[in-house]
Amino acid sequence: MKPVTWAVLLGFIVVLVFLLSLGLGSVDLTIGEVYAALRGGGDLSDRQIVVDLRAPRAVMAILVGGGLSIAGAVFQALLRNPLAEPYILGISGGAATGAVIALALGLAASFSWALPAAAFAGALFAIVLVLRVAATADGGVDVRVLLLAGVVVGAYFTACMAFVLSISDARTVRTLVLWMMGSLAGSDWRTVGMVTLYTIPASLALVGLARPLNLLAIGEETAGFLGADVERVKRIAYVLASLLAAAGVAATGVIGFVGLIVPHAVRLMVGSDYRVLLPLSFLTGAVLLTVADIVARTALSPAEVPIGVITTLVGVPLFLLLLRRSVGAGTGIGAGTGSGA
Amino acid sequence: MWAGIYVFRAGALTYFSNTVRGERGMRCSVWFLVAALVGCEPSPGAQVPTVDGEPDTSSASYPVELVDAAGTKHTFEAAPRRIVSLVPSATEALLEMGVANRLVGRTDYDRVPELAGLPSVGGGLQPNLEILVSLDLDLVIRFAGESDLATAERLTALGIPHFAVQPDGIEDVLTIIGNLGRIMGASDAADSMLSEIRGVLTDVARRVAELPEPRVVYILGGDPPWVAGPGTYIDELMTVAGGKNVFDDLGPLYAPVSMEALLARELDLILLSEGLTPPSLLAHVRSAVLPGSVEIPGPGLGRAARDIAVLIHPGAFDPEPR
Repeated sequence: MKPVTWAVLLGFIVVLVFLLSLGLGSVDLTIGEVYAALRGGGDLSDRQIVVDLRAPRAVMAILVGGGLSIAGAVFQALLRNPLAEPYILGISGGAATGAVIALALGLAASFSWALPAAAFAGALFAIVLVLRVAATADGGVDVRVLLLAGVVVGAYFTACMAFVLSISDARTVRTLVLWMMGSLAGSDWRTVGMVTLYTIPASLALVGLARPLNLLAIGEETAGFLGADVERVKRIAYVLASLLAAAGVAATGVIGFVGLIVPHAVRLMVGSDYRVLLPLSFLTGAVLLTVADIVARTALSPAEVPIGVITTLVGVPLFLLLLRRSVGAGTGIGAGTGSGA
Repeated sequence: MWAGIYVFRAGALTYFSNTVRGERGMRCSVWFLVAALVGCEPSPGAQVPTVDGEPDTSSASYPVELVDAAGTKHTFEAAPRRIVSLVPSATEALLEMGVANRLVGRTDYDRVPELAGLPSVGGGLQPNLEILVSLDLDLVIRFAGESDLATAERLTALGIPHFAVQPDGIEDVLTIIGNLGRIMGASDAADSMLSEIRGVLTDVARRVAELPEPRVVYILGGDPPWVAGPGTYIDELMTVAGGKNVFDDLGPLYAPVSMEALLARELDLILLSEGLTPPSLLAHVRSAVLPGSVEIPGPGLGRAARDIAVLIHPGAFDPEPR
């Protein structure tokens, strides 16, 4: 199939799962009731359920799923490694720690921008730290060290969050736990607005960088020869991808492995041209997270499964499979190591 | 492997939040407690219909104006007819007042048979909003405090009235019963509940008044074990029952303590939450398991005080008067 066909098909599926997630939930609503609610008619409580509760969640799933997937795909291009992903690189952990600190200090209650700003600062801190650790003498990046450093830094952030939890008031803790496991339950139109503000421009900008990212995926030297301003593109892409991950984490907590699963699935469909890969990753990520959220909301209704649990249960086996395959191919996880290799 | 820890903590905290709660709140000193018990000290900012003082005659007179535990002012023009209580102790008080027919939903923590047929809205914290909306409510009773600000905000946004309660100490619980009585137009039932509880508490306090104070701990479960500290109704019940809470220096209302700390406190008696067994290192100390109802601080407060007092001072209730 051509990329355009895939895009149309995926766009159709996004609309389908969006409507599905408006219709499914703890309260049974018929298609007619959902339709009436969307048109502003019907029962007040039905309208509130569809318009104020389910719709913002569904939109949030699309934005966060899409954003995390693009971020994952971009990190994979920048690091020339298929295992790179905001969660594995410790970026989600950094963002969550920033968010948790902002919450514990009460900043988030006072300033609406404090939460995303703190998450973004945490994400940037994590990626800079991890890149520093993995930097080689000649300015390249050792990808094996990078992934290892990402996991270790992630563990460190987990400890930071656990520390903040243990010194903060017992009653705030449960909210923080939800943060760390990921949940879309808190989505309302205000948070959707906030995430839209960061996700859509950053995603579009990264799609705009698709050509230089294609070159980077071949190799930095080649990219340089072919006229790309390698350092500048890399810096912008790192910041934008971190911003995408941070926006998602600030609104919904840590949702791991979406950025790993989705770009892989899309590569299998259309190959690795980033001009096609990035938009299709957004759509596929939107579908994946919307479906995961439907499962999260309905599996144990009226209680909820943290959505990060679902994505991790699916993502880790895939991660191990990819790891095994790269070892089996004799390339090792360091395959495609930067110019230092 | 880290996730596992949080799953446990989340579970444990949900449990504590929904049964006995965990937050620094209003601290009732023992002095205040005793004063309140004999009914000569009005509780600050609370409109408790005291039986010894002037009885609340506004049994069904509306509008009722009240300030809830979150500081929000409410005016009730009539008794709410479709209610969900997210707070188990408040739920029990409502049942005891005879307004069970106005409860149209329950939480997963309400195990009373009267409510078994009602739809569940999930836990008492972060309840399922969809189900709450679908129940077409005119009042939600919710936990006050910072643990669940999001739910309060969203209920407001959805136009569902919500009344915050904070059942930390005994006096808080009595305030809740009095307020619920006024809201529901059932002040007479609430007042008789309050006078019965106060009567039992006074009787228990009188019986143990001159006795030595054994050193007691209340273990709620968990590993390391969570215990009740000052400001909790459990601490106050132990004091009323003539014991001394060995963790009367605990910072938060409820917190986990090390086995070492437990050993160092030279215990005379270990009170255990339903289903627990005493820690093996403390097997030499006398211990007793209390019914789970003790951890729902509602109409059963008096009974709980007596249960605890009988364990601390068996002689004072011998032969047990009924």
